[in-house]
Parts: sequence; C-alpha cells; structure tokens
Amino acid sequence: MPVAQALRSVFRHRHHATAAQLREKLRRFRDLVEHNDRVLELIADAGEKLGGEYVFDNKYLRDLADRLRESVHEVVADLNAISSSRYPELAAALAEIDAAVTAALECRLVVPEAPWVLPLADISTEQIETVGAKMARLGEVHGQIGCRVPEGFVVTTHACREFLESAGVLARVEALRTRFADGDEGLEDEARRIREEILSAPVPREMSRAIRHAVTSLVRPGEEDVLLAVRSSGPEEDGELSFAGQYETLLGVSTDGVCDAYRTVVASLFSPGVLRYQRRHQVPPGCGFMAVGVLRMVPARASGVVYSVDPAAPERNVLLVSAARGLGKLVVEGGGPVDRLEVSRDPGHEVVSARVGMKERMFVAVPGRGAVPEAVPDEERGTLALAPWETAELGAIACRIERYMRSAQDIEWAIDHAGRIYVLQARPLHVAPIERTADRDLTDLGERYPVLMRGAGEIACRGIGSGRVRIVSDPDALPVDIRPGTVLVARAATPRLGGLLGGASAVITDLGSATGHFAAVARDLRVPTIVDTGIATRTLEDGAVVTVDAEDNVVYAGRVEELLHFELLERSSFQSAAEFRVLRRMLRRIAPLRLRDPTDPEFTAKRCATYHDVIRFAHEKAIAELTDIGWVKTSRGVSYVRRLELPIPLDLVLIDLGGGFRTDTDRKVASPGDILSRPLLPVLEELTAAGVWETAPTSMDLDGFMSSATRSTPLTGVMAARPEQNLAIVSGEYLHLSLRLGYHFNIVDTYLGEASADNYIYFRFAGGVTEVARRSRRAALLKRILERHGFVAEGRGDLVVGRIKGLGAEAMEERLRMVGRLIGFTRQLDIHLRTDRLVDDYVARFMGGPTAAERDDAPERGQ
Amino acid sequence: MSTPTEILVLDDEPLVCERLKEHLEKKDYRVEVFTESQKAIDRLSAKRFDVVITDLKMEGPNGLEVLRFVRDHSAGTQVIVITGYGSMDAAREAEYSGAFGFVHKPFRAKTLEAMVRKAARQARKLMERAAR
Repeated sequence: MPVAQALRSVFRHRHHATAAQLREKLRRFRDLVEHNDRVLELIADAGEKLGGEYVFDNKYLRDLADRLRESVHEVVADLNAISSSRYPELAAALAEIDAAVTAALECRLVVPEAPWVLPLADISTEQIETVGAKMARLGEVHGQIGCRVPEGFVVTTHACREFLESAGVLARVEALRTRFADGDEGLEDEARRIREEILSAPVPREMSRAIRHAVTSLVRPGEEDVLLAVRSSGPEEDGELSFAGQYETLLGVSTDGVCDAYRTVVASLFSPGVLRYQRRHQVPPGCGFMAVGVLRMVPARASGVVYSVDPAAPERNVLLVSAARGLGKLVVEGGGPVDRLEVSRDPGHEVVSARVGMKERMFVAVPGRGAVPEAVPDEERGTLALAPWETAELGAIACRIERYMRSAQDIEWAIDHAGRIYVLQARPLHVAPIERTADRDLTDLGERYPVLMRGAGEIACRGIGSGRVRIVSDPDALPVDIRPGTVLVARAATPRLGGLLGGASAVITDLGSATGHFAAVARDLRVPTIVDTGIATRTLEDGAVVTVDAEDNVVYAGRVEELLHFELLERSSFQSAAEFRVLRRMLRRIAPLRLRDPTDPEFTAKRCATYHDVIRFAHEKAIAELTDIGWVKTSRGVSYVRRLELPIPLDLVLIDLGGGFRTDTDRKVASPGDILSRPLLPVLEELTAAGVWETAPTSMDLDGFMSSATRSTPLTGVMAARPEQNLAIVSGEYLHLSLRLGYHFNIVDTYLGEASADNYIYFRFAGGVTEVARRSRRAALLKRILERHGFVAEGRGDLVVGRIKGLGAEAMEERLRMVGRLIGFTRQLDIHLRTDRLVDDYVARFMGGPTAAERDDAPERGQ
Repeated sequence: MSTPTEILVLDDEPLVCERLKEHLEKKDYRVEVFTESQKAIDRLSAKRFDVVITDLKMEGPNGLEVLRFVRDHSAGTQVIVITGYGSMDAAREAEYSGAFGFVHKPFRAKTLEAMVRKAARQARKLMERAAR
C-alpha cells in the first residue's frame, strides 16, 4: 500500500513524538471516512428497498441493523481516537439509537423516559413514541398547522408501562409477544386474562394524582364539571395501519371518571378484535404501550368526517364530507343516515353534490352516561347539518392538513354552537392505487352472469371478492368467526364487525358510510367493501355464492373468474406487508438527518437522534479536530503544518507527510509555488481557476434554498468557505483533500506515483442544500461526468463516490484536473438544477467546457 | 393459450414466499409455496413443475439437496437458487450442480421474473424435446 508506505517512511525520519500522534489521527480519519461512506451506502440501499420492487426478508433487516451498528460504532471509535474522547455524550445518544433500531426490528416500541402527562399544546410528531401516533398528529395539527383542537393532555406511554408493571402484567405482555413471534396458538385466552387484570388494577397513586391534576387544569373558572373524551393513542394507530376503531375511545367522561376510563382504554390493547387485527398484520400483541389522550369534549352542534380525496375515485377533484348532528358517533360508527357532501378541492371549496340524510337521531354527551342518543327536532331532520361556508372552511382545513402531512387525510371534526370548527383527529387515508381500470374488457359480464345488485350504496374499499354469503342482521349477535372467503352481508357497518373482516373475501352492508371506522379497517385489510346499499340483507340470499365487484359496484350471482383474475393482477399490498412496516420504523431512527448546520448551537452530540446524525456529527468534528487552529498553533515550530495562501476565498491547511511542499522557508504560510505534491498541483490548478469562484453567493433561487431544512445561517454566508474546515494532507505522491464548500463535502484521496498499478483516485461528494429532486439530479450529473471520465461511480441519495485506479501519470493528472474543475463546478450546481433536462445541458457543458488554460481565449465547444 | 407455467417456491421465510407468490401470480404464473423443504420434495415427487425457486440454507434438506432431487426426478424442470449474504460459494456450487441461475437476497422482483421467464422457456424446450 503506497500511502501506508509513504506514511511510514516519513515518520520514521522526523518529528517522532507528534508524528506518531498525527499518523494515528490520520489513519483513524481515513478509517472514519470509509465507515462513514459505508453507512451512507447502507442507508441509501435500505431506502431503495422501501419502494416495493425488492423482495427481502427478516434476515436482510437483521443484517442491515448489524452492519449499520457496526459501522457507526467504528465511526464513533475513530472520532474518539482523533479527539481524545472529547464527546462522551455521543456514546449515550448512540446507545439510545441502537436500542430504538433493535426495538423496531423486534417490533417493540421503545418507551422513552417522560412525565406521566404532557399537555397536548406542547407535543408534536417527534414525540410519537411518548404520546402515540394519534395524539402526536393532533399536537402537530394544532402546533404546526394552527388548526383548533380541543384542550387536553396525554397520559404517556411511559405512564402506561409503569401502570402495566404495577398491575403485575408487564412480564406476561413480553411473554405474549415472544409466543406470538414463535407462531404460538391460543394467545387469545392469555390476552383476555391480561385484559381483565388491567381492568381491575388500581392506577398507581402518583400517576393518578398527576392525571387528576391535569384534569383540573382543563376545568375553567366557574365551571362545575367538564365532559371529557378519553381516546386511545396506540403504538401503530393511525400510522401504517389504521387500527381505526379497534381501541377504545370513551366519550362524555366526567372528571372523576378519568382514571377508570384510562384503564379501559389501556386494556383495549388486548381485546379480541385487536388481536385478530394484529395477527392479520403480523404485529405482535402488546408490541407497544398505549398513550391515552384526555380531551375536553367539544359541545358539538354537528360532527363528522372529511376525506381529503375520494378513496373510491382518487382521480376526482373532490373532498368527501359526512356530517351528523351532535356528536360524530353516527358517522364514524355507521349507525344511521347522515349527510353526504362532495366538496370541490379547489379554493372556495364549493359543494359539488349533497345528499341530505334523514337524521332522526343524534348523540349528545351526558355526564356519567357518555354518548347518549336523542331525537333530532323535526324541523332539523331533513336539512343539512352544515352551512355552505362551514363546508368551505372544513375543505380548507382538510387541504391544509393534507398539504402539511403530504398524504391524503381522514379527518374527524366537530363544530360548536358558535360555529368554531375543531379537528378531533387526523390520520392518513389509505387509498388503493388507481391502475389500469380502463383496460378491463369485461363489458359483457352482465349478459353472462345474473346481476343481483348494481350501483347501490358506496364503495368503501375497491377490489373484487367472491364467496358464499353470510348474512349478519343483528349487530349485537355477531358470530365469533366466519369461514375464510365468506362474503359478509351485514345490516350496519359497525366497528365491531371489523373484527370479522380478516376472513372475509368481501363485505356489503345496508347502512354505514365510506368514511367510517369500519371502512378504514376494510381498506387496511384490503377487503373489497360496499356500504350503505340499503338493500343487501334483503336482496342477497344466505349461503348463495356471489361475486362482489367493488370496482364497478356490481354484485353478480356465482363466481366470475374473469373478475377474480383481474383482481389478482391489480392487487398490490406490499406497503402494509410486515417487513416493509418494520423497515420503515427502523429507518425512522436511521436515515433522517437533523444535524445539518454545524454553526447551529443545537449541533451537539446530545442532539444526535439517528445514525445519520451521528456520522454527520463525527465527520464534522473529526475534520474540526484535524484542522484545529490550536493544533496548528502548537505546531508553529513544526514546519510540516502550513496554511496555504490562495487567490480564492478558500482557507486550506496543509499537512506535509514528506515532500508535499517546500518546508525550507521561514514563512508561516505556504504559497502555491511551494507545493510539490504531485496530485495536489493539478487539482488546485483547476479549483483555483477564475470562473469557479465568480458566482455570487446569493445567486441561488429562493425556492431552492427554502426547500432545504430550516436553518439559521444567513444566505450570504452559505457558500462562503468556512475557515478551519479544509484540509490537505500531502506527500510527494499522496493527497488527502477534505473540502467543505458551503453545504458540500468533497473528499479526494489519491496517490500519483510512477507505477500505474499504485495510482488511484477516490472522489467523494456529499451534502447539499436543496430539496431531494435537485440533489438526486446533481447525483445523476456527477455520476455521468465521472463515468465519462472512466470512473466507476456510484450515486445514492446524497452521496456520490467515484473510483478509478491503475492509470499512468499523465492520465492521472488529467483526471485530477477534472476533479478540481468538478469540485468548483458543483459548488452551486444543485441550486440551478431545476429540471431533469438541465442535467443533460450541464453534463454537456462540463464535458465540452474549456479547461482553465483554454478559458481565456478559447470559445466554448459544443458536445 | 398454452398451459400456465407451474412454479414451486421454497423458502423458510414466509415473507419471501408470500411476496414471490404475489409478484409471480401477477405475471400469470401458477405458484405453489412451501416453507419446509421436505414438504416441497414430497410435492415435487407428485407433480411436475416448470421452475423451482429455492432458498439455499434451510432446516431439513437444504437447497442443494432439493436441486439434486429435481435433477434426478424431474427432467426439464429448471431450478433457480436464492441465496442470502455470504453464501456465494454455495451458490457457485449450485450453479455447477445444474441450477439455471441464482439471485441474491434482497433482490428485485423484476430480476427474478426475468430469470423465471427464461427458465420456463428452457424447461418447455427440454420437455418438448423429451416428448419427441
């Protein structure tokens, strides 16, 4: 290895004490960079696996976690060696990330230390593990989006863990999880026992005191009592799986009933319906701890649900609104007629169509009795519950939340007597992908198979299912289980019916709405479902074989093979498959980069929340350590560390390993003329050329800049080279160049000697200030340019690595000049890469562009 | 239309079986999946498949044994071997023992589909030749 040889020979001869330290630091730094690259590659690779094109298994996930952990720990060990363990807090942060990744892999949730209760106003999605998904989102809807939400607080997952421990069931919950993983049958009985014990266990005294204290804070002066909603905020709820309606939510709870309600909600983690659901999705029971939201109930004049798109026809430009008078129970549970409106998604949100439901009943909250049905006054029964301006406001809210959350939304809302709209819940709306529906050539099916029903009701989940009809007319006498493949035909679309969905091939109901809980569960399970037909239980015959076409809303007699085949072709369920869910959850603690700006006071070891943060932090600090001004000062008498004086605003520290630059002068700074390092000369020649540094720092467009993560650095400072960040370790034949230009990191590691076999260039580019699309364009561009120059180039996410070796000296110099030019060229590139087509233009420009020597007199050549 | 291509998938990871079944059935293949190799071998004794996709490392008879069984008992049937990390040598061995090809986990479904398509064509060709 020529570099090692060079290092050895240099240090053998001079500066013995410090040289040994320097040698070790440099060795460690090279090691750090190598592992850093490895981690970035693994992250990019894992992200790619999420797209659905790959087949992978648990072993891949375990290997991924192992390899990541190993490399990240190496990075940290290297930083410790370079910095004499200056960042002890990094170990603690890393241990926490390790634990979280392992927990995600094992389908567990880590329960972070937290207070028993947290006010809703203070929480966001970052605290998802503490407050559960539902409450975290509600906190975000309030805090970030500015929507009105009920006042309230969350009893944290940490509290739940303590409660389960004091109830003496924690170990058994763990055991249940293991048995589930082992495919053990008969878990229902154990889950039932756990549930019963939870229901009879007292809430620990301190915790109940904290809860009561928080409840008191919800009572306003002059109020005797308030009614509360006690809502589950489960580990998976509202995340990748909706679990809609599977956990308990209690309405109309009085202040002294909160602890009882809390128990009930926590116990619902172990209810039979939840178990069935978990089994179906391979989520181990009790895989997390339940956070519970306690919210003031909105004295609702009307309530309901809004879908930001129509799940049955996502291409239509409408929002779906369902509204009932009083509480929203009728809408989400599908127990009676409600108003149905289609509202334009365009600003103004005009009503496109409205169907008035004959609303004979409504639910109101009654202290001590929860949600109680009441008759709707005659004159209000046949009128819409919402005024047009209210629907418009609701539409605006839904679109705002959708934009922020970047996915279609299913939002529960309530409006009080003063006309104020409250968001009670917002979760992703699962929409089946629209595919080649138009390709179906099944036009004559109606002639070949008797049509039993057509166009009745609404499609709640698209798809095709066939099987024997099982009619369930009494919602209170549900069968325990149904034969797999049954077409379930029910009177009402109640959440409890959801527990039977696992085995059903299709479902049709008389009542209910496509916006209810039941419909959400059906979509999770991808069970083709038609609701609100009004006639299904009367029209279909128990035991008859039918085919339900929930694409075109038709029910045929018999088994229609053509349709079932079509369904098979269209089916795509990868996103909710177990391994994808696990990978997504692992990546949450691996991939996101929060520590971006090293000048931010928050750029600390303690703030590292992901592996990406850790390596970013370590890389930054390692460079800082090597280029430390104090270090340079202490080596003032040492001739092998010099600042390089350049005609460009680039502060570069040179460290000589021997023969890299002239050390026989008395000056404290080196000038370009002093440089002897063979590989550094061609790189500098192009890098310092006029033109590369002429672009004004503020020439980036504001969009490009603003779309990057929020940061406090002023615009003018972004592109200026930061002092003490740039380092060249050189010998006569070797160069290690670490350059930080704005938010770009460039590393060039190269050896250029007489023997071609020893020569190599490693070029690495990382970082960037703009949004993902432009970064990937930049990666594509760099990759293409490097490949055209004979490099083996890999571009993944933020990182491009190019390698070339075995070239003769002349070819090496040519490539190194190209690298110098490329570093300058890309300095602001991503800011300009607004379209894919520009990539071609820039590649052409770069390939055909003049070199430094030609720049002054030669016209630009075309490609 | 010719008769559908019959595929047997064997992998002790149910996830892999499930995903392969899903992807291959979309392409009109008829797919049977097994997570235990002995059961797969029993099935292979009873029915002829065009293509067998098998994992290498499994409890009971491993992928190579399945491969040998197919070679000895089911003329024309092509075997594609799935390998995990670090079992490259075994994969080579499989290739030498007459596997049609191998893919490394994790792999793109499309890569496997392309290989299955070629393997199925090869299987049909050999069978037709044998029938003549």
